[in-house]
Amino acid sequence: MVPLSLLISTASRRRAAAALAAMLFAPAAFAEEIVFKDQGNREVRLAKAAERVVSIVIPMASTVIALDGGTRKLVGMNPTAKSAVVEGILGKIFPEAKDIPSDVTAPNFVPNVEALTAANPDLVIQWGDRGADIVAPITNAGLTTMLILYGTEELTREYMTMASKAIGKPERIGELVEWRDRVQKEIEAKATAIPDDKKPNVLYLGRALSDISASGTKGSYNAWSIELAGGKNASAELNGTVSVNKEQIAQWNPDVIFLNAFEAKLNVDWVYSDPILSLTNAAKSKRVYKMPLGGYRWDPPNQESPLSWMWTANLLHPEIFQYDLRAEMKTAYRTLYNYDLTDGDIDNILWLKDQGAAAGYAQFAAK
Amino acid sequence: MTTMTQEQAVPAARRIHLARQTLVFALLLALFAVAFTVSLCVGRFSVPAGRALELLWQAISDPSRELAGIDERIVILVRAPRVVLAALAGAGLAISGAGLQGVFRNPLVSPDILGISQGAAFGGALAIMLGIWGFPLIAMVFLCGMAAVILVGLLSRINGRSETVTVILSGLVISSMFAAVVSLLQFIADPNTSLPAIVYWLMGSFATATWERTLVAAPGLILGSCFLWMLRFRLNILSLEEAEARSLGANTTRERWLVFCLIAVIVGSQVAVSGIIGWIGIVIPHAARLLVGHDHRALLPAAAVLGAGFMVCIDTLARTATAAEIPLGVITALVGAPIFAALLRHHYRERKGS
Repeated sequence: MVPLSLLISTASRRRAAAALAAMLFAPAAFAEEIVFKDQGNREVRLAKAAERVVSIVIPMASTVIALDGGTRKLVGMNPTAKSAVVEGILGKIFPEAKDIPSDVTAPNFVPNVEALTAANPDLVIQWGDRGADIVAPITNAGLTTMLILYGTEELTREYMTMASKAIGKPERIGELVEWRDRVQKEIEAKATAIPDDKKPNVLYLGRALSDISASGTKGSYNAWSIELAGGKNASAELNGTVSVNKEQIAQWNPDVIFLNAFEAKLNVDWVYSDPILSLTNAAKSKRVYKMPLGGYRWDPPNQESPLSWMWTANLLHPEIFQYDLRAEMKTAYRTLYNYDLTDGDIDNILWLKDQGAAAGYAQFAAK
Repeated sequence: MTTMTQEQAVPAARRIHLARQTLVFALLLALFAVAFTVSLCVGRFSVPAGRALELLWQAISDPSRELAGIDERIVILVRAPRVVLAALAGAGLAISGAGLQGVFRNPLVSPDILGISQGAAFGGALAIMLGIWGFPLIAMVFLCGMAAVILVGLLSRINGRSETVTVILSGLVISSMFAAVVSLLQFIADPNTSLPAIVYWLMGSFATATWERTLVAAPGLILGSCFLWMLRFRLNILSLEEAEARSLGANTTRERWLVFCLIAVIVGSQVAVSGIIGWIGIVIPHAARLLVGHDHRALLPAAAVLGAGFMVCIDTLARTATAAEIPLGVITALVGAPIFAALLRHHYRERKGS
């Protein structure tokens, strides 16, 4: 007869082993699951780090590449994001990015659910502030969706952090946010000391070629970054982003004009050859600049924003800010894309060929 | 005695009619002149009215003078071409509307009915999508507008003739098809660049007016309107019943198409430089008809002057009311629709009364 004590002991040993196994493996299993609240205030639950990501949102495609340090995880993007990849340097750094499908959505963010499902994504990134109609088809297809909001630096950091967590690279975001924070605080510290009358009036034109659009200060990331770098938004009186005429620009008479990087055919000559705009302070003092196009366009918030702020600050207040932008770009690109920028790359990103003669632009030329 | 009185009475009534018309035309021209002058003097950039007129006078008296000051450039290079273009476009659209309403014997017809606007809109949207600006864009818009009319012509031609109803239906078909393609272009357009540009362009604006653009559009607008004016007697005949018109020796199909082609030239030229501007072609002819009657000899010039003045006022409002440019289509609809409703009510009340 088997002693009772032995039976008990075996049973308890089994229990102990099971408990031990649970203690050992369960946390690992739980650790795999990723849960967070997105900017649409919804709970996003991923069984494990997303391996296949689709970004319907335009700038997030390049951000996902930067967070992952490669293109492996991005399996679909907006056609407009792809045009930035093709036109900009990302297509050179990651030639395979040109083959990532862009049929998952129309440019207007309406998803093509069948193409989207065919891409078999673990995570789909979509706008959270443009109505439920562009979200419901994705969630109805049973896909995990992360909603993000556009506009401010805080929101940008938040959604970048969420994305890095979702793709299982939480360690990547630390240094990127720290970089953003450091550069922002550095610029802020110096810019707050600038008296108001020394702050130039800066006009950012979101569109120029068919009609001209400018933005009020509220809700405009461009106005925010202009003010961050010690400038005043020349079109502050506007409500939202709207069309304006040249007469109105003459009335504002900006000291500096920034042209968007979205319109491929737009360059500074557009201002200099215009009978009215060429008489603004900005044109007379040669302070007209087209925003650079790097890993993404530098106008909206993205992974390269600190470079954009440095570029702006150096141009608005060259006596106060002297960032070595070329060196900063090289460091940033190594961190973001594990790529060593050549001098030619930097010249192209900053449009040195077209606007090298602009006031203060010589500082960006290769030494 | 009775005969004598009748003979005297007819010229007397005619004299009163003529005097009334002269007065109406004098008033319309005066109002237009006021609108034109005020429009040149106001804008977002503050130039005192006296200075604006002085600059204008200097530019007229010495055209070779170099424009140095920004106020001078704004008045001469921004406002003046814009006001002139708005006036020409307004006149062209109104005269087209009046002509078409006569040909179709239907007061609810506007130049949109022939598919010109939608055809031209397709050309413009496609050009913006392809990143084509300036004169190639204008040419594309114009050609697509003309293509739409040709398509309407081909579609409505049955056994060598095209009836009014088939023309209207064909116009509807072609217009819808082009509208669908414009929607498709909007669907695939880049939401950051070409989409807002297309949407804004479709709402109509003179914001991009320059002398070059005015000169590009002017020949079509002026010649088209003048030829239409030369057809004023024909328009009177075409606005009669089909059988009656034929009995008066009119080849209605051929003459109608001549009118359509002229209108295609006018509207195509206008859409090419300023996008789609609705309502002018339908509201102004009605107002003009109330003032001078149905006779195209008086109706066409009255519609032209009234359309020019109205368009100038609307555009002045669009560019000065706020720092943001208000799209013209929005104002013409907001102002035009209630006026149209009032005119219609007035018209039917009068008809019921008579």
